[in-house]
Amino acid sequence: MSFREKSAWITLISVLVCFGAYFVELFGGLASSSHHFGGLGSLHLLVLSVLALAGLQVGLTVVAAVTTPKHGRGPADERERLIQLRSQSLGYHVLMVLAVGLFAPAFFGHRGVEMANFALLAVVIAALTVAVAQIVMFRRGA
Amino acid sequence: MALPIANQIRRLRFEHGEMTQAELAERIGMTRQTIAAIEAGKYSPSLEAAFRIAHVFGAQVGDVFQWVD
Repeated sequence: MSFREKSAWITLISVLVCFGAYFVELFGGLASSSHHFGGLGSLHLLVLSVLALAGLQVGLTVVAAVTTPKHGRGPADERERLIQLRSQSLGYHVLMVLAVGLFAPAFFGHRGVEMANFALLAVVIAALTVAVAQIVMFRRGA
Repeated sequence: MALPIANQIRRLRFEHGEMTQAELAERIGMTRQTIAAIEAGKYSPSLEAAFRIAHVFGAQVGDVFQWVD
């Protein structure tokens, strides 16, 4: 497995774990009416998730670099650049659709921090789309 | 979907001292996975990459890649 495919797996796993936990906690708390979107608790949870994401990505990337042979760690070649371009294009379109979809919670009265969290969810889904698309294309060959 | 381009890379590698995919990849500045994808017909290389591959084998591009109708 090339270093760049490992990087895509690292992004997928770390974003799923960190922001999965963040949104499960956030929306779970909201559903049980024990929390609301705003407040310091929500901010702490976000900061903790971002720090966990950074730590997990750095740690796993170091492991990936150490376990990848030297010839697999060179600059991206044309096929890898094509995969990156295609996956980012797909992620961009997903983000655009979700950005327009942000009108829906706004119409239902959500404001401020709530809307910021919906926007963050859109970014996370777009990032996951990019990672999954890269993994699929790496596995298929191109 | 299969690409309409066949190639002789596997045979040419064999005829050139059983060159490995990694060796060919290193000589043309690509990853081994990309060489494997080209060889398996899953990825069509750029014209420049096709020339680089042909150059390694001392062959013409048409000897390495063929259009299949």
